[in-house]
Amino acid sequence: MRKYLVRRALFALATLVGVSLIIFVVLRVLPGDPLVAILGVEGHARMTPADRVKIMHDLGLSDPLPLQYLHWLRDIASGQLGKSFFRGDTVAQLILHRGPISAEIGLLALIVSWLVGLPIGILSAVKPNSIIDNVARSLAILFIAIPGFWLGMLIVLALLFWFGYKAPIIIVHLWESPWQNLQIVIGPAIVLGLAQGAYIARMARSCLLEVIHEDYVRTARAKGVLERRVIMSHALPNALLPVITISGVLLGFVLGGSVAVEQAFGVPGLGRALVIALIERDIIVVQNLVLLYAVIFVLVNLLVDLSYAWLDPRIRYA
Amino acid sequence: MSDQTDSGHRPTTLSRRTFLRAAGVTGAVALGPAVLRGRGEAQETPSPIRPEAAAKRGGTLRYAVHNAPAHFDVHQSGTVANIGPQSPMYDCLIRRDPRNGQTIIPDLAWKWDISKDGKKYTFYLRKGVKFHDGADFTAADVQATYERIVRPPKGVVIPRSSLFTTVGEIVVLDPYRIEFRMTEPRPRDFMLGAFASGWNIIVRKKTLEDNQGNLRQVMDFPGTGPYKHVSRKDKEIWIMDKNPNYWNKGLPYLDRLEIYHMFPFSPELGSSFLAGKIDYARLMDPVSWRKAKEMPNVTAAAFNQSVIQAFWMNMKKKPLADARVRRAIHLAMDRPALIEVVKDTAPMQIGGFVYPFHEMSTPKAELVKRLGYQTDVKPAVQEARRLMQEAGYAQGIKGLDFVVRDIQTFKLWAVAIQAMLKENLNIETNLRTVQTSVWFDEAAAGNFDLAISAIVSSLMDPSDYFTAWYGQNGPQNYSGWSNEQFHSLAKQIERELDKKKRTAMVRKAEGILEQDPPLIPIAYEQIYDAYYNNVKGQNPSTFFGIYDVCRWDQVWLAKS
Repeated sequence: MRKYLVRRALFALATLVGVSLIIFVVLRVLPGDPLVAILGVEGHARMTPADRVKIMHDLGLSDPLPLQYLHWLRDIASGQLGKSFFRGDTVAQLILHRGPISAEIGLLALIVSWLVGLPIGILSAVKPNSIIDNVARSLAILFIAIPGFWLGMLIVLALLFWFGYKAPIIIVHLWESPWQNLQIVIGPAIVLGLAQGAYIARMARSCLLEVIHEDYVRTARAKGVLERRVIMSHALPNALLPVITISGVLLGFVLGGSVAVEQAFGVPGLGRALVIALIERDIIVVQNLVLLYAVIFVLVNLLVDLSYAWLDPRIRYA
Repeated sequence: MSDQTDSGHRPTTLSRRTFLRAAGVTGAVALGPAVLRGRGEAQETPSPIRPEAAAKRGGTLRYAVHNAPAHFDVHQSGTVANIGPQSPMYDCLIRRDPRNGQTIIPDLAWKWDISKDGKKYTFYLRKGVKFHDGADFTAADVQATYERIVRPPKGVVIPRSSLFTTVGEIVVLDPYRIEFRMTEPRPRDFMLGAFASGWNIIVRKKTLEDNQGNLRQVMDFPGTGPYKHVSRKDKEIWIMDKNPNYWNKGLPYLDRLEIYHMFPFSPELGSSFLAGKIDYARLMDPVSWRKAKEMPNVTAAAFNQSVIQAFWMNMKKKPLADARVRRAIHLAMDRPALIEVVKDTAPMQIGGFVYPFHEMSTPKAELVKRLGYQTDVKPAVQEARRLMQEAGYAQGIKGLDFVVRDIQTFKLWAVAIQAMLKENLNIETNLRTVQTSVWFDEAAAGNFDLAISAIVSSLMDPSDYFTAWYGQNGPQNYSGWSNEQFHSLAKQIERELDKKKRTAMVRKAEGILEQDPPLIPIAYEQIYDAYYNNVKGQNPSTFFGIYDVCRWDQVWLAKS
């Protein structure tokens, strides 16, 4: 087990180093620089070549690329993650302020996806091809197909025009006011959760359908065990494994989707910060946020892998 | 001392009313210093902005304007992201009257003189004014501020430097008197407009020295303004409280300003206003603004912005170097249709090469009768086809690289313009949408055939943008356009002090630009503001742009 853990941790580290290199190179290869955002259109037009050289030097963008990469690693090691090109705030400050909101949205979305997806999947599997199954499957396809940002905008508009309601416009942390905080995170969490719930419902249905035709389930039924108990205690635990795997993958979709959905709801989370940083070409912020998302994704997948042994005692790590 | 005193507009004819007003002003000016000496209190000098007796005090104004600034150096900025939230913390030497956005009134300078030859501007500064850190305000601060604006240090880029190219020496006569000595005179309205620009906030000499002249990452540098910094959450909110020691006693009325950062024209801004989360929204999208206009307790105001929306034609590309081809493209535009295309995205109005609302430009009623601006585009298209034929391009032009700035308005327009060019002149273009910073790099490097975007000016006066937009090697002359007749006329316009003669010259310049276009004007932007009716003291309908009047010292809340 320990060997396995060390090996997986090393793989994860190698993945993150690879990701960091890709982000670093891509952001520097892409055309465009932060100078228009810094100087404005008029200032940019009046900038002399000497000004450009001085400003790029001040920003650290004229250093050789390997040196810039090493500076970034140094900033990561210091825990500050570097400073935004623009306002001088550290990326660590940005993550500490906005991260909790995005984390809440991600976590709530995951809970919503399980709360919605699992019961629907079970119902569909227990009564295949029934009206319930058909309705559930149609809804699942609908929620997979609808773009989250569009649904988010519809919800915002509906609340505004029907009830004159809008969620708080600046960050209110959970520990400051739970009620206001809930108003900020609930919308994006539901939108993201419904889309992921649809995937979970489809996966749970197909896995459960497969499992309930297994011999041990038939044996349980033959022994007169109640149908509910057959499903919940015998079939479901064995059908859950792929659902857990897909939940890890779906968290990646939640992270990616949160960028657009936070924008649609006007939630000042990390996703929105990433959008603004991209517009401003604030590559220090972009590279750190993308790396953060990569770290979360890798860690979640690691946790999913490790949870297999706990959920299925037949699995042993070699 | 100067030969002549001038604290406002000079009348051209002498009526009884004018005589009495002039006598009053002369008396006040003569008495002013004596009163000051006698009392020794500079803040008692009369200021044109005086507290209204009916105004209520207190309360918090929740105001939303633009996304967060990229940095904090107002002088180096060209966006309302800076001037919008930061202006309330600072004062200028002189300013535009916030009640109409037009008249120039005293600010930190309570009086100014202009010498007869127009080569000396002397400003008399208020005594007893303090920066927010407690330091005294003196002429040395004005000198340091303007030295930086006029001649920025290396690595510091200030878009307004070009307004002061004729400023030679800046001399401190005494701690409360400063003189700007010009190398050659400029029209008085132009120079005073430049000094009154909201961008030219006065900062402490020490602040500049401590930061090597670069304030980009200094969030809270002290000003003398009506509000003081309290806190800021990046990309969310900037909070300021009333400055209890403000030199203009009785102002501001509000206790607190909460300034929210929201993207212009965004549904987020519109919905926040409609839901009552903010009291005042600037740069609203047309759909939300129209909705707000229907609300009984809301004022929806529209006013002119200092922006031209246009596309440039690369003069290095052979067909586009021909003035006839460029005029043909100019005439092939159905401008009313283009304004209609973006009506739900951004508010626009028709205009030519000079701000259509400027007193020197061709009046709108006349302009819309001109080829290229008419509702019925047939005559213009006919003329455009004739010009293409004459230039040898009757069969059209193929494969033009059309670089589009990645902003909704330009993307919508680019498609419409592509269709107009194809249909009217058989010019085929390939759209290439690029991110904003890439657009400006491509435009500056000349890597385009056609390129669509928008540019701004600091002043409404043509001399400002005749140099920047159309000048030979002008920083925003992306087409690389040159026309000797125009350039020589523009130089004369810069120097001409007589308004009538200047107006005639501007009209003549318009004529040259119509025939030999350096760019194709599409439209001129408008600003949509909306505010609940409890916000008093604000009337932006006559403002020019959003950069000169955003200090909020004259605004009060009826509910408090």
